[in-house]
Amino acid sequence: MKLTTKQLTLCAVLTALALALSYLENLFPLSLAIPIPGIKLGLANIVTVFALYALGPAQAFLILLARCFLGAVFAGNMNALIFSLLGGVTAMVVMIVLSGSRCLSVYGVSVGGAAAHNCGQVAAAVLTLGNTAPLYYLPVLLGVSLLTGALTGLVSACLFRALAHTNLNTGLDQGGTHGA
Amino acid sequence: MRRSPKLRPNLWDGVVVLAVAALAVACAVGIWQGGGSQEALTAVISVDGTEVERIPLDQAGETRRTVEGGGYTLEICLTDTEVWVEHSDCPTQDCVHTGRISRSGQSIVCLPARVVVELEGGSTADDGLDAVIG
Ligand SMILES: [Zn+2]
Repeated sequence: MKLTTKQLTLCAVLTALALALSYLENLFPLSLAIPIPGIKLGLANIVTVFALYALGPAQAFLILLARCFLGAVFAGNMNALIFSLLGGVTAMVVMIVLSGSRCLSVYGVSVGGAAAHNCGQVAAAVLTLGNTAPLYYLPVLLGVSLLTGALTGLVSACLFRALAHTNLNTGLDQGGTHGA
Repeated sequence: MRRSPKLRPNLWDGVVVLAVAALAVACAVGIWQGGGSQEALTAVISVDGTEVERIPLDQAGETRRTVEGGGYTLEICLTDTEVWVEHSDCPTQDCVHTGRISRSGQSIVCLPARVVVELEGGSTADDGLDAVIG
């Protein structure tokens, strides 16, 4: 994979944005409803959706890895790593598959990704604890993912609309098809 | 842009939403209704994936347990209806902040200590949704 300076810069900015979103979601008291430490809303998936369409799967994956590792280092919490990695990677795989279908809009892709993100996180909780007790909260987390998925889709759609008026497109893809 | 996504929700997105909702309902039926044992409400304490003690709440009355895991010590309080972590020296304190649990299926998790306290039995989680939301 060969990165242009512009692509590299965009990757760095998106990683920083994803980290900021991961931090922001600590402000939501999700733990009141779901008392499993480590489980997050998944707002950073906004960045994954955007990177997937704007930069492609390979760079979206790099951004995801950087976000998960830096996030765990900043939080000083290695338990958090398996939650964010398993959630993030599951979400990304599902979103790559769903975005391959030309029928779906960013909303459908985001909702599918959010549901996969929460399934991945519950799997991480079951694996880390060696106990199936967290499964009890899976139905609620799937319900929550409808809301976070819709929010992620809305923010992504706004981003793409806003960027359609900028010249970010030019040079990113070196002569690829443009437009948004 | 490598690919320009569709930005307006359409019927196919509705299909995804329905699929996720159906999965949530299927999980709820499978997980919340399953295992309807006639056992009384019991607290199951596990450390590192291994069950260490089962305490039937109605028989134990008011009692407490000290559980060690991952180098941390948790003080668990039990009454005939509720269970909570009174004190813990773990760094995150999530287990203490979870507060009191009182319904079958609910659990308290301490990630650093790898301790899980789960409630089992009792009335089957027929009102599991209120249990989680309310
Ligand atoms: Zn704890």
